[in-house]
Amino acid sequence: MARASSILRQRKHLLAAAALAGTVGLLLLRNFDPAKSVIFPPCPLHFLTGWYCPGCGSLRAMHQLLEGNLRAAWALNPLTMVLLPFIGYGLTSQALLVLRGKGLPGVFLSANSIRVLCAIIVLFGILRNLPVHPFNLLAPGAMLHL
Amino acid sequence: MFCPQCGASNTDNAAVCVQCGRNLQPAATPLPATGQIIPPGATVENYLVFAILATVLCCLPSGIAAIVYAAQVNGKLQAGDFAGAQEASRNAKMWCWISFGLGLATVGVTILLGILGVISGLHHG
Repeated sequence: MARASSILRQRKHLLAAAALAGTVGLLLLRNFDPAKSVIFPPCPLHFLTGWYCPGCGSLRAMHQLLEGNLRAAWALNPLTMVLLPFIGYGLTSQALLVLRGKGLPGVFLSANSIRVLCAIIVLFGILRNLPVHPFNLLAPGAMLHL
Repeated sequence: MFCPQCGASNTDNAAVCVQCGRNLQPAATPLPATGQIIPPGATVENYLVFAILATVLCCLPSGIAAIVYAAQVNGKLQAGDFAGAQEASRNAKMWCWISFGLGLATVGVTILLGILGVISGLHHG
């Protein structure tokens, strides 16, 4: 019993830390454009190899989204934009699970659908590096120059 | 039968709810295949949201490992292997934390390299 309550307290601390970090992150993203500012770290993979990862452009995309530029956000990272509502729902559910012991009603994904999702993320990461039309449109921001 | 948590319709012998993943086995029923005892109303967390965030934000193969284990959690739940699902769940959680740590570390190194670059830039020019 004592152990369970200490785990719960630990989770509440973790949630508070994550919420604080998330809020600070969103405020920074609202006020600074990662494309122009140096306060955001570059993607390590792109920094070291020059290749785009599946997440490249997602910070810039979030900034554009907070500015209300849906088209620019989509062009910078379409995958992030597609996943964002689901990630938001999942995170809200996790937070509620800690706060009231019950998450939001979830859809139970089958093991295979999770594997398909994983494959889509990896494939997106590979395709956006190909210098061939139309795949090169998936590179961060490429669709803005159409 | 209907799920007591979300009300979704399930086949009578389903181990978990197709809609929300809640354990549908009656209290303390040993599963014939494995002989495990499932606590009533138990679910097994698969940490999928964090696994996806780790993959997309930290951009690391360890995020993929977390997603693979998340898939395994649900696969084992579907097969009625509760202990296996819990084991996969622990692995999914571990890989999420590893991704997070590696992500923080790489960001730290990148910032350090940037600072060193600025300093050497000052020295040379």
